[in-house]
Amino acid sequence: MAKGIKDKVAIIGMGCTRFGERWDCGPEELMNESFAEAIADAGIEKEDIEMAWLGLYSQEHSAGKSGLPLSVGLRLPNIPVTRVENMCATGTEALRGAAYAVAAGACDMAMALGVEKLKDTGYGGLPERSKGTFDDLWLPNQSAPGSFAQLASAYINKHKKDLSELKRAMAHVSVKSHANGALNEKAHLRREITEDQALNAPMIANPLGLYDCCGVSDGSACAIVTSVEKAKEMGFKDFVTIKAMQLAPSNGFELQNTGWDGSYLHTTRVASERAYKEAGITKPREEVNMMEVHDCFSVTELVVMEDLHIAEEGNAINDILDGTFDRDGKVPCQVDGGLKCFGHPIGASGLRMAYEMYSQLLGRSGERQIENPKIGLTHNLGGQPNRNVASVSIFGLNGA
Amino acid sequence: MAYGIISFGGYVPPIRLARSAIFEAVGWCSPGLKGLAAGHRSVGNWDEDSLTMAVEAGRDCLGGLATDVQQVALASTTLPFADRSNSGVVADALQLTEFAGTEDVGGSRRAATSVLSRLARGQGGNTLLIGSDCRDAKPGSTQEMSYGHGAAALLVGEGDPCAVFLGAASVHDDLVDQYRSADDDFDYALEERWARDEGYSKIVPRAVAAALERANLAASDIDHIVLHGSTGAARAVAKATGLDAKKFADSLAGSVGDCGVAQAMMMLTNVLASAGVGEKILVIGFGQGADAVIIETQGAISQVQKGRGLAKYLEQTRETDKYTFFLSIRQQIEMDYGIRGERDNRTALSTAFRKRYDITAMMGGRCTKCNTLQFPRSILCVNCGAKNTQEPESLSAEIGRVKSFTEDWLAFAPCPPYIYGNVEFKDGANIMLEFTDFDAGQVQVGDEIRLVFRVKDYDNRRNYRRYFWKPAPLLGDAA
Repeated sequence: MAKGIKDKVAIIGMGCTRFGERWDCGPEELMNESFAEAIADAGIEKEDIEMAWLGLYSQEHSAGKSGLPLSVGLRLPNIPVTRVENMCATGTEALRGAAYAVAAGACDMAMALGVEKLKDTGYGGLPERSKGTFDDLWLPNQSAPGSFAQLASAYINKHKKDLSELKRAMAHVSVKSHANGALNEKAHLRREITEDQALNAPMIANPLGLYDCCGVSDGSACAIVTSVEKAKEMGFKDFVTIKAMQLAPSNGFELQNTGWDGSYLHTTRVASERAYKEAGITKPREEVNMMEVHDCFSVTELVVMEDLHIAEEGNAINDILDGTFDRDGKVPCQVDGGLKCFGHPIGASGLRMAYEMYSQLLGRSGERQIENPKIGLTHNLGGQPNRNVASVSIFGLNGA
Repeated sequence: MAYGIISFGGYVPPIRLARSAIFEAVGWCSPGLKGLAAGHRSVGNWDEDSLTMAVEAGRDCLGGLATDVQQVALASTTLPFADRSNSGVVADALQLTEFAGTEDVGGSRRAATSVLSRLARGQGGNTLLIGSDCRDAKPGSTQEMSYGHGAAALLVGEGDPCAVFLGAASVHDDLVDQYRSADDDFDYALEERWARDEGYSKIVPRAVAAALERANLAASDIDHIVLHGSTGAARAVAKATGLDAKKFADSLAGSVGDCGVAQAMMMLTNVLASAGVGEKILVIGFGQGADAVIIETQGAISQVQKGRGLAKYLEQTRETDKYTFFLSIRQQIEMDYGIRGERDNRTALSTAFRKRYDITAMMGGRCTKCNTLQFPRSILCVNCGAKNTQEPESLSAEIGRVKSFTEDWLAFAPCPPYIYGNVEFKDGANIMLEFTDFDAGQVQVGDEIRLVFRVKDYDNRRNYRRYFWKPAPLLGDAA
């Protein structure tokens, strides 16, 4: 019986670019920026890295397909580079590849680097894309906000809530994230907003207004992983380990069957339950000290609080309005500003979340540092509520 | 068993443009249109064309019948494809057998009545005759005011007919009162008074006289006259033929407009929808000649009438006074929808062929092991995982229930907001679909919808369009 990867893999160095409209940078500059920070942080040389995973989603719009953009961009010494793409979980999937290689003993040191250059499309939002030759014949040409906005209509219908209540909680989600992002020099959006601004913003996809939607930006993040033994050998004392990495993609149930009521994220429930099991967590609300979840839209974060078993089903609105997920709350969420303020360069986002957990666990987060966190959780949700890829990862200090 | 009209159906798109709005916009250059600026005209939505309207009229006609259709004749001057069987798409959407003959008929405003006249004179197999037209007109033209969009269908063949043919005749005579060249978007029309005096007064009477003679009837025996033409044309025909001017059927000019090939069929449908037994109806088509067909209603008419015909479509309207909206949905002006509107909608035609029944007939699958209905049909059941157990079953006639939805102002849509959502159907089926004919604020979770066959996307780079089914508001109680 496999035991999972808990405490087998250490993260010994991370880098993260400033996210934003990096008009003067292409993928090459972004990759070099996060990579330089990561190897300096780890105190290693490029040649120490034996295998690499590149997280890159919209290759047509930026760097191109295959592992080549990373190998060429960083002039790697012909080590194996695998490009992974799994919607919004892409960055986390790169890390899972690198972590598994180390855990399997295939190499001592591996790298995961995620990058996305979105701002060469010439318009707001994510790039238009084909869903494949058959799906294009029948599925709506939906936008990301439109896909997630539907959670709201189904959620209030199921839990008998007023739209105005939901909208207030959604506004609180965004106000909280902006307050956190304002303290983070790497965030894209660094201005605080008010509840009134959020509630009265232009409509993007009913009921999601402008401030219910995350930004769109360029960015890159990078992680260097090695075995716990090797980390100790290298002289690391308090270091971060991976406690769990789980992934759950849809299999058609939500999209094709009435068994799903549209108000929750089925795959997030599955992935989180598996991750808690792998990490040995039995009371998530008590044991998880902080989270970076996939807040592509405020309503997503709200619903995800329940699907991660942090809030009770139907109670996320109350928890949010009570400040449970504020920076000084019981389980701070989006401490770095989240997708809301970082935007969502798809290939980089999962690693950007891990970067914040890593920094917080090591006590390096400055003004927004949380007091003594031991366990942090990241969550990605790629696709749309009725057909998606969910990943849940848990990080902690070695021994925690 | 007798030969005649077995069933009928009609369709008018819900969008109705106030003619006063046209005048307000174009009156500065065409002040003479003021006299026409009353009432409304029907307008096909951005995702409607003569093919989709034909499908809807065909569904109305065939609904609840078990008749085997052996032939589809699709009559129109505005079919979307010049070289692709438009009637073949209609046949698939209506789930007719693969052996149903398909023909596209065009060439003049009387394309439909000409086929009807032929069918009246010679028995063939069961034929579904559909007239459908979606003619656009130059801004500021008389036709922009007077035209409408619509369709109607007749099922003609052996069975228990609601009407039988008494006599028919067709006359061809190349009076070009209006025309559209093959590469033109709009009709070119001459003054109507000439068509009235030289056409309606002289050509129509020859066809009417021949039909009456073949039916062994006098003009005074006719109870209803269906004429494709203006009130002036009707007066001229009455004067020249001895037909009773009071017996001309409603031309639908006030609320729909002139629907071209479909017009006489739509008016006939309307008469049939409220006719009693033993009523004689004369149908007259006009355009480079004339067709005259005389029919008589039979005892079966009351059975066939139930729910069929234009009434429910005439009641369900979305009125607008936005002239630029009208021009935009008819692709006569190009609004700036930004770079998102540049999306490439190329269709992989080999994929479309493999999945033609999934798409055109909305064919899902019902698992024979667990009875779960699903779309699209797949190798493994979404519910029980059983392999190769799904029998084809169409969802196009099913009523769905909205599970979740949004009104999207970001995604490109030719008629914003782009409304879409998850819709539940019977026996476990859920499908995310693009909605049509709903206004912002109109959809609620839990609402019931029906499905309509519409244009899914235009590929303007390659001049192709693809079709699929979309949720639309339920029809009123008239249905």
